Amino acid sequence: MTSDPHDDGPLRHSPLDAAHRRLGAKMVPFGGWEMPLSYPAGTLAEHAACRERAVVFDVSHLGTVRVAGPHAQELLQSVLTNDLGKIGPGRAQYTHLLSDHDGSVLDDIIVWWREPDLFDVMPNASNTSRVTEALGAGEDVTATRAVIACQGPDARSRLAAVSPAAAAIGRFRVGTFEYEGVACVVAGTGYTGEDGVECAVPNAVAEPFWEALLAAGFEPAGLGARDTLRLEAALPLHGHELGPGISSLQAGLEWVVAWDTPFRGKDALAAEKAAGPARVLRGLAVEGRRPPRAEQVVLRDGVEVGVVTSGNFSPGLGHGIALALVAPDVEIGTPVQIDARGTMLDAMIVTTPFVEKKKG
Amino acid sequence: MNVPDDLRYSPDHEWARLDDGRIRVGITDYAQDALGDVVYVDPPAVGTVVAAHDKLGEVESTKSVSDIYAPVAGTVVDVNGDLADNPQMLNQDPYGEGWICVIELADPAAVDELLDADGYRALIAD
Repeated sequence: MTSDPHDDGPLRHSPLDAAHRRLGAKMVPFGGWEMPLSYPAGTLAEHAACRERAVVFDVSHLGTVRVAGPHAQELLQSVLTNDLGKIGPGRAQYTHLLSDHDGSVLDDIIVWWREPDLFDVMPNASNTSRVTEALGAGEDVTATRAVIACQGPDARSRLAAVSPAAAAIGRFRVGTFEYEGVACVVAGTGYTGEDGVECAVPNAVAEPFWEALLAAGFEPAGLGARDTLRLEAALPLHGHELGPGISSLQAGLEWVVAWDTPFRGKDALAAEKAAGPARVLRGLAVEGRRPPRAEQVVLRDGVEVGVVTSGNFSPGLGHGIALALVAPDVEIGTPVQIDARGTMLDAMIVTTPFVEKKKG
Repeated sequence: MNVPDDLRYSPDHEWARLDDGRIRVGITDYAQDALGDVVYVDPPAVGTVVAAHDKLGEVESTKSVSDIYAPVAGTVVDVNGDLADNPQMLNQDPYGEGWICVIELADPAAVDELLDADGYRALIAD
């Protein structure tokens, strides 16, 4: 993980902080929070547990901005890029908040449409205030709950022992369940490339719910495994594949942009589309185990054509993988090199995701 | 953290086991724990001549890259080839199967400059 620009301020703590420390987690600063990097099993074992069985991640550092009222849908639609008209209450949607100035992705967000007039908008840890500012509305309820991601091929079967209702929620569906008499929210979403759900659980029952999941056979996994899992699935991380200077188009996420809706940054993004993006996000498969790293230069025939945005060792593939922003003519199948601190790593531009979910 | 009494230590978290004018070198239990899961080791080439604190190689974990430094001056006479396929040996057995290289010492007395186990324990306790 690269350095965290929020390292300086006081760090926030998850409602599950004590539970992580009891498990022997290595805690690290991330987006202004102190969160588990790994547990004693280690990142590689946690990664494998998610691909083969079922893990739980504490993702309480994601924000929750509650937007309610008869104009909530209209407000969100006027700001965010995706078309809420394609979904409805009880559904979740991935969407972007863009800069008016250049179409940069200020944040990538999952919207949980809970009830006709009730939305939980889930920004990234450090971007919550940016999102409330852009909306000019919404209540930041992040501090009232934990968010626990249950992921992996066995996630639903194990979750059913704790909450059958939560386990039954479909992919990109949103619903509610009760735990110890307390109302919780669940969505069929995740960030690993595996099946699973994410549960927003009020603080009062967060720790008992987490403990019940561990007792049901979930293995705890930290941010280290979350990063290698999402990279294999080629899912973007804000601050790497998205962020200042990087638009939805460059990131290859035009499907998130509903051009027939209003949204912030539309003119700038339309101008970029007309001109063609100056660079595009591609996947790179590296020969050998050495992990490429963010900010390393990508070369084709000895000429610089781009830069790595995220890179690591792929535990599933056994070699290095990377996402990189490269010139648009660097097509799939192109051999390239990555300058890894002076050592040239041979790589190939490949299709993504790097790792496909096993068919059940 | 495991800090064997019979080894010497550098402030850069390498260990050295002295044997007949040579030292076997690896990274400490403390270092492997701080690095996290090791996925790649770039060892020095046999024949490399190093001064004390020269870069010996690199260790990459799932979270970061770190340099390995020569604890004392000498010539690399052997490297652990098994690490190419099993870099996690650095995590699983840092003082045994996870050794990195063997250095023929330019001056065997230089080992006395290194920390003993108590000195290293004090260093990592801070």
